[in-house]
Parts: sequence; C-alpha cells; structure tokens
Amino acid sequence: MTLLGADRLLAPLRQALRDVPADEADIHVHRRRAAITRYSHSSIHQNAVSDETHATVRAIVAKAVGIVTMNSLEPSDLRRALTEAASLARASRPDDEWPGVADPEPIAAPSSFHEETAATTPEAQANSIGAVCAAVPKSMRAAGTAQIEVTEDAVANTRGVAAYAPATMAYLRALVQSDTYVGSGYAEDLSMRVDGLHPETIAARAAEKCALDRDRIQLAPGDYEAVFEELAVAEVLRVMSLTGLGGQSVREGRSFMTGRIGERVTGESFTLVDHAMDARTIAVPFDVEGTPRQKVMLVERGLARGPVYDRTSAKAMGARSTGHAADPSRYAAGGHAGHLAMAGGPATREQLIGSVRRGVLITRFHYTNTPDPRAATMTGTTRDGTFLIVDGKITRALANVRYTMSALDLFAGIDLLGPQRLARDWWSSNGMGSILCLVPPIKVRRATITGSSPL
Amino acid sequence: MPATDRRLTDLVHTAASRGATYADARTVEREHEAVSVKDGAVESVTRTSDRGLGFRVVHKGAWGFAATDRTDEAAIRGLVDEAFRRAEASASVQRRTVTLAPVASQRGEYRTKLARDPFAVPLAERIDHLRAVDAASVGPNIKTRRSSMAAYRTRKHLVTSEGTDVSQEIVEAGAGLSVLAVKAGRKPASRYDSRLVRQAGWEYVEHLDLVARAKRYRDDAEATLDAPLADERPTTLVFAPEFLALLVHESCGHPTEADRLLEHEVAFAGTTFMWPEDRGKLRYGSPHVSMTADATVPGGMGTFGWDDDGVPAMKTKLVDKGIFVGYLTSRETAGALGVPVTIGSARAEGWQHFPIVRMVNVSLDPGTTPYADLLRGIDSGLLMDAPASYSLDDKRQNFHFSTQSARVIRDGQLDGYVRGVSFQSLTPDFWGRCDLVADDWELHGFLSCAKGEPLQLMRVGHGAAHARFRDVPIEVRE
Repeated sequence: MTLLGADRLLAPLRQALRDVPADEADIHVHRRRAAITRYSHSSIHQNAVSDETHATVRAIVAKAVGIVTMNSLEPSDLRRALTEAASLARASRPDDEWPGVADPEPIAAPSSFHEETAATTPEAQANSIGAVCAAVPKSMRAAGTAQIEVTEDAVANTRGVAAYAPATMAYLRALVQSDTYVGSGYAEDLSMRVDGLHPETIAARAAEKCALDRDRIQLAPGDYEAVFEELAVAEVLRVMSLTGLGGQSVREGRSFMTGRIGERVTGESFTLVDHAMDARTIAVPFDVEGTPRQKVMLVERGLARGPVYDRTSAKAMGARSTGHAADPSRYAAGGHAGHLAMAGGPATREQLIGSVRRGVLITRFHYTNTPDPRAATMTGTTRDGTFLIVDGKITRALANVRYTMSALDLFAGIDLLGPQRLARDWWSSNGMGSILCLVPPIKVRRATITGSSPL
Repeated sequence: MPATDRRLTDLVHTAASRGATYADARTVEREHEAVSVKDGAVESVTRTSDRGLGFRVVHKGAWGFAATDRTDEAAIRGLVDEAFRRAEASASVQRRTVTLAPVASQRGEYRTKLARDPFAVPLAERIDHLRAVDAASVGPNIKTRRSSMAAYRTRKHLVTSEGTDVSQEIVEAGAGLSVLAVKAGRKPASRYDSRLVRQAGWEYVEHLDLVARAKRYRDDAEATLDAPLADERPTTLVFAPEFLALLVHESCGHPTEADRLLEHEVAFAGTTFMWPEDRGKLRYGSPHVSMTADATVPGGMGTFGWDDDGVPAMKTKLVDKGIFVGYLTSRETAGALGVPVTIGSARAEGWQHFPIVRMVNVSLDPGTTPYADLLRGIDSGLLMDAPASYSLDDKRQNFHFSTQSARVIRDGQLDGYVRGVSFQSLTPDFWGRCDLVADDWELHGFLSCAKGEPLQLMRVGHGAAHARFRDVPIEVRE
C-alpha cells in the first residue's frame, strides 16, 4: 500500500463534505495493509497480504443519524455515501441524545509510524520466521505468526475537523512444542518498529519454557499465590476494559465503577490509566469522531476515578469526550479503553518467583470470558507454560488450569510488580479486540484455580 | 462476459503461465443493512458495503495470497506479482509442501431462496416493527432495552486454474434482542440473543415473532432478578436448542477442524483432542449423541453452493452414536491427511481473506422423543435456556459455560427460576452424560465465529433439539 499522506487522504474527504445534504456530517477513513505470514511445524503455511480501505460516513438530519460504510475514496463515491447516509437519517427518527459532531481541537502529532517497518518485505518476514525455526532445538517445532501492519487514519467533518495519522505495527510470535513429550512454551514481541522484533530471543524464551513444561501434573482447585506474566495480566485488563471502563457501561449499571467512583475498588498497588500518547504504545492520536485522545486516570491506587467517554456517553453523563470513540462495527458504543497502562514496579522475574512459597506461574490465557461482568470476573484456561512454584523455585510443570476470579480481587492482592512492556491479550492478538497494554508481570497473594485440564 | 469475470480468468491463466501449480481468483461483494432501537429510540441506521478481489497461488509447493479493493488494472495485475513473491518467500521456510486433494471442476450458480428481499423492506417498516418489539420489552425493572434487524447480501465469483467457475448470491436476514434488568440490592440480570439469523429473506424475521420473544426475555430477566441462588450439587440439566447450538459449535465443531490437527492454528485458536488415530475409536459422547456437518441444510448460515476451494456442498458425519468419525476439511488439509474431501469447509470471510477450514452447519442430530416426554422423566433438574459467558481451552476439552436464565424442573414441569448457575466440564465427560435428545430440532445461525489471523468472522449454522444430561456438577455464584 502506498501511503497517501495527510493532504491526499483528507482532500477527497473535504471535497465530499462541501455542500453536504445534511445538517452535519463526518467521515472516518481507515486504510490498512496487513501482511501476515503464519507457520507451523517450522514451515510457512499461509502468506497473505491485503490492501483495504474503510470509509465510514455519518450524516445527521434533525438529530437523526444515518451511517454508510464502504471501501472507496473516490469523491463521487464519498458523496454518494453521504447522500445515502442523509437519506437513512431522514427515514430514521431523531436521537435526542445526539451530541453533534466534534469541534476542532489541537491534536498531537502522530508518533507511531516507522518508515522502515512500513517497507518490510515478504522475504524479511519469512527470514524472521526462519530465524525462529533455526534457533529452536531439533527436538522441538515452532509455530506462530509474523505480522506487519501499516495504517492511515483520517477524520474530517463539517465543523472543520481534519485529522490524519499513519501508524505501523510489527509482531512476531512463537509457540514451541516438544516432539517427544506434551509440552509447549510461548513468547512474542510487539512493537511499532520491525527492529523491535528479536526472533532468536523469542525462540530462546519459548524453547526454555517448553523445556520446563514436561512431566506435567494436575493442580487441585483452590486459592494459590501466583505470578502472572505480562500476557496473563493483559488478559485480566481486557476484561476490566470491556466490562467496566467505558462511560456507557457505567451509565447502564454494568460496570464495577457504577456508583463507586471515588471509592476503593481494589488494592493500593493497582493504578491504571488509558494513555494512547505514551510513546511506548502504538496509537492514532485521535478517535473515530476526530476527538484528541486524552490521558484518563481510571483507577488510582485502588480508587475508581472514572471511565473513558465517546461524545454520546459524555453528553449523557455530563462529561467531555475523552477521545475514546471506537469503530462502531466492532465495539459497543460508549467509549473504549484500548491503550491501557498499568503501573509497574522494580521486581525482577527472579524476585517475583522467589517470593512465592507455594503457587502458580501463568504465562498466558486462552479464550477467556466474563461470567460476572459487574464484578469484572474472568474465567479462562492457561496455556503454553503453567508451572508450580514451591519455596521460590519452579518445581513442576502443570496441566493447564482454569482460573476464575474478579480482576478487582486479584489486583487487591498484588505483592510485587515488575517493569511494564507492550503486550496484547489473547483476543486482541489476532485483531479480534484492539487493546494494547503497557503491562507489568505481578506476584499476587491469591489467584483462584477452579479446575484442571487433562494431562 | 463482464469485465471482472474476464479479469479472474486472465489472472489464473497468467499464474499458470508463470509456473503456478494452482491458482484461484475470487471477487466478493458484500452489503449489510442494520437498524437498532434502544429504549424506544432509534440507536443507529447503517448501510455497509465492500468489494474486492483475492488471488491465491501455489508456487514451489507453497501458498501466496494477495488481495485488493482497488479496481484499476495496475492494482489487479500487481496481485500476481504480490502473490508469487509471497509464495516464493513461503517456500524459503518450508518443510511441508501444499498438496490439494482432487476435486472435479465445477461450474454453476447458487442463490438463496427467499420470499421477500430484506433489503427491499422500507426502513420505516423495520423501525415500526422494532418499536413494537421495544414496547413489549418494557418491564418494571428493565433498565436497558435493545432490538435490531439486519440484512446481508454476499455475491461471490470464483475462478480456478483447474476450470472451476462458480457464482453465488447469498442473502441473510436476522434480528437481535436484549434486555437488562436492574434492581437495588440484586445482581443485574440480562437476557439476549444475537443468533436469530438465517439464510433467508424478510419472512424469517416475521417468523421469529419478535414481540412474543421480547415479552419472554423481559419475563425471564425480571424473574431471574428476584430468583434464589441454585443449589450447588450435581443435577439433571436440560439444554434448550439455542444453548446446545453453542455447545456443539465450541466442543464439536472447532475440534473437528482439520487445520487444528495440522497445527495451523496452534499459536492462536489452538489444536484438538480428536486426533486421526482416534477416528472410529474415541468415545466422544453417549450413544444418543450424533453430530453431522451439512452444507446443504435449507436456510443454514453455513449453507452454500460451493466453498472457497470450489468444492460443492456436502454432508458428512462427525460423531456417530457417540464415536468420533470425521473432520471438517479443505482441499489442502484433506491432501495433507491423504484422505478424499468428504466435506468442503474452506471459506474466507471476505475478498481480503485467505480461505481456512470453517464450520458449515454442524448439528446435533435429533432424537425421536417429544420434548414434553423428555421433561417428564425428570424429578428435579434445571432447564438452561441460553448461554451467557463461555470459555474453552486450546484443545476444546475443558470448558466453562454460564447461563442467562435457568428454570427449575420439578416432577417433569417447569416451576420458577434460579440464578447463578454455571458449569465446567471436559467435552467427552459432558456429552457422555446425555441420555436423551428430543425431536424438536431447530436451526440457529451464528454471524461471527472468530478464527484465523488476521481475524476472520464466519457465518455458521447449528441445529439442535432439547437434550437431557444427567448428574452434571454445577457451580453457583452470587
């Protein structure tokens, strides 16, 4: 995909918005080149690239909203979409809660684009996979994904908003399995820059875990001390985000924050912000409504501080949009906290494990869900590295366990925090969600294990 | 021949002339219209469309795929270079070459049979219908009400280097309902369904009788709000077809996807516990449990003329009287396993996606007992209406489900509600407890089965009847 840049991408939007047949209108465009190479048994089995354009047009007539989405940037197509959206709005009914399209505000310069990453070749992607496979011991096999994504986002509206940002994302993951016993290990790198991926290191980390993951035993259900690695913590944060950090969920009584803003909801060691403009994450500096993304304190030392908002939920709650409107085809309206940063600490991996008298180390989770959204309860099974820790040392590999617990209860028991790193939960790792986390590993006093998978 | 059709033929010919051992070109155009009403007001009215072209080659024994939504000649010609370059890169890290199981070339057209095109229903009629549904959802403790209707149309054209040339037009219609009941001092209760969708026209939406359904959901949520906690002990569970549709999907459909056993999905979606050496031997469930994959079911969301490998719609058994017997396959996975294609399951969400193994319509076969007779055999148990939260491990063996609504069965009759019910189990253990399947089989549709990288959301269908499971340990949480 050739980058269009701000002027060439915004020009057809501005042109289409002239003399729009509606009271007001906005257009969000997302262009994407997704290059994904997948491998298993140390062999590439899928190698795909797609160039896509998504244009979402909203037209508002007498507070009624019509939305049309299509994949063309031709001014004539955009104008047709605006006319169609206006026609849908006229056939619709007024929305008394409609907040109006966004007013122009200063927006930070984009900081998540890396030119060399955008130019990554298929050969380079294959080479990174080849490097992982070559670094894995002969008695093991590797599987995973190498992904390069290049995007351009733009928003323009009839009040003069004109925002543009390119971004890049590089991702490499490796799941290593033994050819001789049941066992697996996992590692990944996620970065704005392709030179932030380290195939040999990923292979070594995953292979080391796989080597430890043999002769598994089953763990009895119960409460255990635990070390959650970064990916495992990201999974818990995802549950908090989807169930409780959006303005609409607070308003509707579905959030753990409902009626509790300003109150203690978890332990003092837990602080969580949404901060898209943190230089270590990957983000566009505005949301799909064209509002600049704000840094939002969500939970401060265990006290609920408030959710994120889009324009509609902000109006309903008497607040200002925090710049957290999300693609309505993928997320519920009301604000999406997608760039989380959980406060970390100085603890090393050795200190985290060393502080456990008898407990569990969890590498990551698979297919989690939330049986009690109001309590931010998560259930899910572990995978690719679950270990028993006794007297500060990993002593045995464990069959995958089912964990079920409220995020608030889990974080109430934080004893130690390690340094943050950029990670995504399992769901977000294939694009099913879009939550990036700067997240630390943690040691907690209590994690509830409710079952075990077979050996 | 339309210009695009000629382009597809040109593309596969070009690929063949450059040495590809296989090539296919596929155009997809998708349209979607949706209307939703929240608390009596129109929440959104949307119309979505996209179209593009995906091009696949096998070159040097490896896949390369490229896709674009640009329509100019240069972009489309560029797909050939992109796909070959990707295949060459794949071949540089390859221990297993791609072998496609043979399938006769296909020609023809497939169209959904429908009585009334859902796109032709005036928006005002749809909004009025939803407002009536919304009004029926109003209850003393119902805080949030949502209802929606949607129509989908997909036009696909596939041309392969082996002579296949097939066109399809698939139309789907559906609705969604949800209510949230909130009361001081009680845990909120929600009741919803997002699986009321069918390959059909507007007649399916009318058949749903959404007003009556909305009243039932309201009553379920209100009653659950005030219901006592269930007793935590093993009990007889009866699952409604809607609930079983998801259980079949998660615990039989996914683990029988053949790409999982080739470990194509191991890093994300996972693998399986149903391996080739288990076929014909592994006891998956009780003798009452048979499951069938069938891409020919009328109205099914997994029904088509041909899959995206160009394999015609077929039907095959996955579980026969409790024994695991079959897989869902693509030409590639059947080729890798050295078996003939018994069901074509290669599908891509859109033009921009590489086809992978997906469920078609995977269903629990019906029994012969009327539902009322099934209930009569229960002194004490619970009817699980619809799933709420669900979570599964990477082999689809260890799962946890909770329910939106649990009704008490006492002496063969439904008698009030309880709340807080969930259960976790291992797949063969769970299906092994099934002692009866009723004859009231019905079809459900899923719009968004998630799999693959990049994410692909796929339509699939699942049929089931009420079924009874004995001595299931349940968990009860406030």
